[in-house]
Amino acid sequence: MMSTASETSRPPSWPSPTAAYIHIPFCRHRCGYCNFSVLAGRDDLADRFLEALRWELSRLEQPQTVDTLFIGGGTPTHLPPAWLERLLQLLADWLPLADDGEFSVEANPGDIDRPRLERLRAAGVNRISLGVQSFAADKLRILQRDHDEAQARTAVEQAAEALGNVSIDLIFAAPEETLEGWQRDLAIAAELPITHLSTYALTFEKGTEFWTRRARGGLRQADEDLELQMYQYARQAGAAAGLAQYEISNFARPGRQCRHNLGYWRGRPWYGFGPGATGFLAGQRRTNHRSPTTYIRRCLDGSDPAQECETITVEHWAYERAAFGVRMIEGVDLEAIRLDTEVDLRKTRSQEIADCRRWGLVRLEGEHLQLTEKGIAVADTVSAALL
Amino acid sequence: MQVRNFCIIAHIDHGKSTLADRLLEFTGTVTKREMKEQLLDDLALERERGITIKARAVSMRYEHQGETYELNLIDTPGHVDFQYEVSRSLACCEGALLLVDAFQGVEAQTVANAYAALEHELSIIPVINKIDLTHARPDEVAFEMEQSLGCEPDTIVKVSAKAGIGIEDLLTTVIEKVPSPGGSADAPLQAMVFDSNYDDYRGAITYIRVMNGTVRKGQKIRFLRAGSEHEVVEMGQFRPHRTSCDSLQAGQVGYLICNIKSLKDVHIGDTVSTPGKDAAQPLTGYSRPKRMVYCGLFPSDGQDFSELRDALGKLSINDPSFEFEPETSDALGFGFRCGFLGLLHMEIVQQRLEHESDVDLVQTAPNVTYEIVDKRGETLTIHKPQDVPDPGDIEEFRQPIVRCSIVVPNEYIGAVIKLCQERRGIQQGQEYLGPTRAMLVYDIPLAEVIYDLHDRIKSSTRGYGTLDYEMRGYEAADLVRMDILVNGNRVDALSVVCHRADAQRRGRAVVKKLKTEIDRHMFEVAVQAAIGSRVIARETVSAIRKNVTAKCYGGDITRKRKLLQKQKEGKKRMKAIGSVEISQKAFMSVLSTGEEG
Ligand SMILES: Nc1nc2c(ncn2[C@@H]2O[C@H](COP(=O)(O)OP(=O)(O)O)[C@@H](O)[C@H]2O)c(=O)[nH]1
Ligand code: SF4
Repeated sequence: MMSTASETSRPPSWPSPTAAYIHIPFCRHRCGYCNFSVLAGRDDLADRFLEALRWELSRLEQPQTVDTLFIGGGTPTHLPPAWLERLLQLLADWLPLADDGEFSVEANPGDIDRPRLERLRAAGVNRISLGVQSFAADKLRILQRDHDEAQARTAVEQAAEALGNVSIDLIFAAPEETLEGWQRDLAIAAELPITHLSTYALTFEKGTEFWTRRARGGLRQADEDLELQMYQYARQAGAAAGLAQYEISNFARPGRQCRHNLGYWRGRPWYGFGPGATGFLAGQRRTNHRSPTTYIRRCLDGSDPAQECETITVEHWAYERAAFGVRMIEGVDLEAIRLDTEVDLRKTRSQEIADCRRWGLVRLEGEHLQLTEKGIAVADTVSAALL
Repeated sequence: MQVRNFCIIAHIDHGKSTLADRLLEFTGTVTKREMKEQLLDDLALERERGITIKARAVSMRYEHQGETYELNLIDTPGHVDFQYEVSRSLACCEGALLLVDAFQGVEAQTVANAYAALEHELSIIPVINKIDLTHARPDEVAFEMEQSLGCEPDTIVKVSAKAGIGIEDLLTTVIEKVPSPGGSADAPLQAMVFDSNYDDYRGAITYIRVMNGTVRKGQKIRFLRAGSEHEVVEMGQFRPHRTSCDSLQAGQVGYLICNIKSLKDVHIGDTVSTPGKDAAQPLTGYSRPKRMVYCGLFPSDGQDFSELRDALGKLSINDPSFEFEPETSDALGFGFRCGFLGLLHMEIVQQRLEHESDVDLVQTAPNVTYEIVDKRGETLTIHKPQDVPDPGDIEEFRQPIVRCSIVVPNEYIGAVIKLCQERRGIQQGQEYLGPTRAMLVYDIPLAEVIYDLHDRIKSSTRGYGTLDYEMRGYEAADLVRMDILVNGNRVDALSVVCHRADAQRRGRAVVKKLKTEIDRHMFEVAVQAAIGSRVIARETVSAIRKNVTAKCYGGDITRKRKLLQKQKEGKKRMKAIGSVEISQKAFMSVLSTGEEG
């Protein structure tokens, strides 16, 4: 029979994190569209950074076993293999990976090589995400990326040999890019031994070189229709290549979805370390200072590197889980949210959900809310309705 | 005691207030020390605009050739919106000083008010002021006055109000030229109400001019038009402060305090007499003030409706010619439809509201009062465009026509004629005031005048042109109600009445503007201008096709959520026209740019 109110109204208990994100800020140079926490041309800070990270990790007090570990950046593989090895050892000390855990590292085609891949493999890395962005020379030049098609192909092939599980990122709707150019990028990707693909329309972020150049009229943003066409084409091409879409921007072979990222969309908690990194635990979402030098200084002074801290109530959490969970193509389970949070979105957001259904953006089957074909392109409207 | 009642007719800034000050000083009514600047213009707002809005009356005592005279100076409102009040003030006087600036010369308002004074058969004393100015051109101005007003140049008194030159001469002329008031102190009481104001402690203060008979403290009086009866609790004169006395008799000017709680109960132009059958005849010329211009006033986003209601209520206590009633608009929410005597009156009320309360206002485009004869032969009076019936039900559509007098330097005559013609004016006359200036007389629809004619005349004459107008009456015209539709739903606050020939141009401009202000929706939004069911302009706001953040990982969640929440908050404050959500800012931008495309 049905559970009674008293049985369901228990105090919220936050699950403990089984995921960790580590941000490595070093890059060879800063790309014009990038607004990540990045240190370009400051490899001299590599040791101090490692010290800072060690200090931040030590606040765990004891090693925490995690199911997924994600080293992002920046370019984690930019620094020499020996340094990389020290980083991997540090993580192994504090964040040991569970059996059959997922261990991802981001890398750039221009930086990655056999010695580094070997170090990664030896440390248990079983997934690599390569910042290919494109194979076309013109587009790579506009994006200020320093590799070429041959390097990208080689990087993918070598990574596949070493780790067997390669994802690549591709950017579309770059200035001057044509639909044909984009089709070619996707065609090459389909030939390569990848298990996962992420595609992002280029965005112009405040504070980047691209933002300023666009404002001055020096860079033209692709028009909305073309961007939409490119997006739809990527979805088709992914499907044709056996890479099924499982999130707005992500495609994978069966069983190769990024478990770490799925955790974000499902509202699971995670640890975050490094400059600009966010962590979410015990109802607190904390983001470290975005400036790598400030981050380093604070840690080495023994003071908290967090720049922002936000308390997420259980109620907030319910709406966030729906709003971000709905980005997954399989949809989001509103009943699961209700069981964890006692918030029943089918009641509290009934009008908004009804509107989205009327506009043909979502399907609601039982407790399962899912974007429709039309809804995928306007997922932000659906997210906003659910918040 | 001999009495002289007179007023000063002058264009703004020609020195009426300064001259009044000098007269008070010279007659010893106030000492120099007491003299505050611009004593008569005591409302801060009026001083800001340089316009005397409400009539006041001051009583002076002056010795002339061994005799003491009571000189009553009645201040008249200087602006056309208060024409009715001007006419009531003039009806209380036997003489008028026609004051003209020695540099500026004759202006439109001077002419209009001088004619009004002549109609009331007042003795006119022409005066040129500011003769102390280095650029004074008294001879040319005298010539202009002769041309336009028929003043004999050798009768013109030349003064400097500022420097106190010629004041004694002027007083002598007043005593000699202004007739003493007629009437008999023994006849039944008959007094004209020419103004009123509100005192927080004493209630309404009623300004009267006794035409016949005598009014005494403590007696019962009756307002003949209003039909109400009161006891005179206090009476007296302004010298210049309220100074009580026991009686006022035929010819005198003063005030009554009768325990009246609201200015709405005191009607300007009403006649004061005694209760019972011995009462005098009511004086002629009484009419209720007519609101010629209407607009909607709404509190802006998130502001309190009741605060606005209280503020309007407070204002109307002091200004009975302003009226308001609740109005609901789909687009703007709860607000009020307000009626004004004219455009300036509307501006003054708005400014007062903003000065005296914290309410932020949204104002709809002003409109005039229309008359419509429907197919059944009934005449409807229309105060808001939304009330105009469908085209098929209209037999005749009438609008108010005003006679505009426009005084312009000669070099701008062409520009002003063109402007008046564009605004469907019909020329009634053109007169040269002197070698450099002319007066154009046009009959123009009031709607065109309030739309922008006044501003346009100013801008096309570099500020030198002056405009004055008076009501002529209603005339049939080819008018239509133009509606703005959003996905087929009429946006009530944006309907306007305009000439059929202008509808398309204005409609196009509005829909174009509105299109840029409406956020995209999940569906297409049609923005149309229509006359009845006929669409005359259309724009489309295309549907959102793509609206998705590509990258959304752990570190992006907070920022993204805040962004989406902000958008959602903004949406909550929007008004729904059908299923289309439109911000108040969008309506405001359409209202404030008017229909200029
Ligand atoms: N030079 C000069 N200025 C004057 C004279 N009379 C008034 N003014 C100035 O003209 C301006 C307008 O005067 P005001 O009495 O306020 O005009 P009102 O609008 O007709 O009441 C003020 O700056 C006065 O100081 C005058 O006789 N000579
Ligand atoms: S390599 Fe990646 S992280 Fe580094 S600057 Fe370029 S885009 Fe940014």
